[in-house]
Amino acid sequence: MRPRWGSIVLWGGLLVYPLVVSFADSGDFLQDVGATLVLSAIGACAWNIVGGYAGQVSVGHAIFFGAGAYVPLLAYELFEAPPLIGVPFGIVVAVAMAALIGLPTFRLQGHYFSMATIAVAELIRLVVGNWDLLGAAIGIQGPATPRVWWDLIFRSAVPYYYIFLGVLALTVYITWAMAGSRFGYYLRAIRAGERAARSLGVPVRRTKLMALMLSAALTSVAGSLYAIKVGFVNPESGLGILVSVQMIITAALGGAGTLYGPIIGAIILVPVQSATNTWFGGSGSGLTYILYGGIIMLLARFEPGGVVELWQQLRPRLWQLLRARAKTEQARVA
Amino acid sequence: MLLEVQNVSCSFGSLLALSEANLSVGEGEIVGLIGPNGAGKSTFFNCVAGDLEPTSGSIRFNGVDVTRAPAEHHALLGMGRTFQVPATFEDMTILDNVMVGAFLRYHRRADAHAKANEVLRLTGLEAQANLRARGLGTPGRKRLEIARVLASEPKLMLLDEALAGLTPAEIQRAMELVRRIHALGITIVIVEHIMEVILTLAQRVLVFNQGRTIAHGKPSDVVNDPRVIEAYLGHRRHARRERRA
Repeated sequence: MRPRWGSIVLWGGLLVYPLVVSFADSGDFLQDVGATLVLSAIGACAWNIVGGYAGQVSVGHAIFFGAGAYVPLLAYELFEAPPLIGVPFGIVVAVAMAALIGLPTFRLQGHYFSMATIAVAELIRLVVGNWDLLGAAIGIQGPATPRVWWDLIFRSAVPYYYIFLGVLALTVYITWAMAGSRFGYYLRAIRAGERAARSLGVPVRRTKLMALMLSAALTSVAGSLYAIKVGFVNPESGLGILVSVQMIITAALGGAGTLYGPIIGAIILVPVQSATNTWFGGSGSGLTYILYGGIIMLLARFEPGGVVELWQQLRPRLWQLLRARAKTEQARVA
Repeated sequence: MLLEVQNVSCSFGSLLALSEANLSVGEGEIVGLIGPNGAGKSTFFNCVAGDLEPTSGSIRFNGVDVTRAPAEHHALLGMGRTFQVPATFEDMTILDNVMVGAFLRYHRRADAHAKANEVLRLTGLEAQANLRARGLGTPGRKRLEIARVLASEPKLMLLDEALAGLTPAEIQRAMELVRRIHALGITIVIVEHIMEVILTLAQRVLVFNQGRTIAHGKPSDVVNDPRVIEAYLGHRRHARRERRA
């Protein structure tokens, strides 16, 4: 089905990346960018389940990311527990939120669903920003120094990179298994046309709700990993609208509703972001918005299917071109 | 009776699109619904399929009251439908389109795949199985919609203008397919504009005009019914025909 070579190159590249860049001058920095990249890919893959496969463009995934980020740090804040212990509880909170949000909002379709998710996410951001238990506007912190190894505090980005990569592999595996199952077919049918899907016996609302809950669980894990690595979360970094938008843009740029699209999106987007942040520093923070806006315009104008779709359209032509060139070459030699 | 529709009305706001329609369909029948544009055929159709909720009346299918049941419930009970404007899943391959239908009865991927392939052979689509649906023309799409429904193993199939917009040669092929489906033991209710199709396919015809059923009976009788001629051709043509007779 999918070109095997492509995925071998992709996973192989991701596996050796930190080792390769460790020889570079700014190896530490590049490794940190790599960890950010893999984390971003996890978030985008998680969003992709409901936003890509099911075509329900949620702009409220920051809620689930935030649940995953806040709960583990809260576990430390309240009980001095290693943040890792809070991860399953973060998942539970995220899935519960998904059910609460999905039940009413999935009555809405298309843009109305997206707008409703924005509204709920902003509401939650404001509530958390005024809630003292959750650190209000200042946010909460994890342990400053490692007490046990499973506090997961490392000086180097490499251990984080490989933990994230493992989670990414698991996320991709879950997505792959889902896409080939009845559930995955039903999601794609819903995206293509709810009315037709319903006429073939697809329980549309229940399927969408299950997709949102699965997506929320995985997004929450991404949030937890972020919080554990950074050791700190505030309403903006955990629940801000940019968190959601980042997932959407990453997935859409690579190809929403495809297995590897979100990873390809992260591979393109994260280095560009890191470069602009380094070159322009704090004064260039508004640049992120300009970049996102530009990508949205390019995608909408030229290829809504993203890079993967573009490649699938170009590949046959590219082969043809290469074959034709090889033929003329042969002719010339003869 | 497989399908029993009693006194079904449907209105949109103050517009009464369908008024007191009745229809009973027995197992193994082919029933045609005809009538000019805006006569209420599609509204009737959508009420029966569960896409629209009737304002009043009752619909029973296979002994179950489905008047207010959602469309997916109809499918599960064995009522399949096609759409007037084909609603194929454009980005999915033809095989995947059909597999969505097959998954209704076969939950395992391999079983659904086998069922889908069987249906693709029956409908003559197997050569294009791995093409995306958006690559098909109108006849192909209509055929694919039928294939998709067949894969869900329906007892009753509702065909909404499955032959509209086809060339005469394509119509012959499509009618051939409808006959083949009927031979499988599937009951068919078909909405159609083209008289020739209805006359040759349907055993019984229900004629709609302005939201009401104006005639009901064998196709050959119905086409000679003065009310039907008037609904289709208008008053003057009808009068001229009277004079000639």
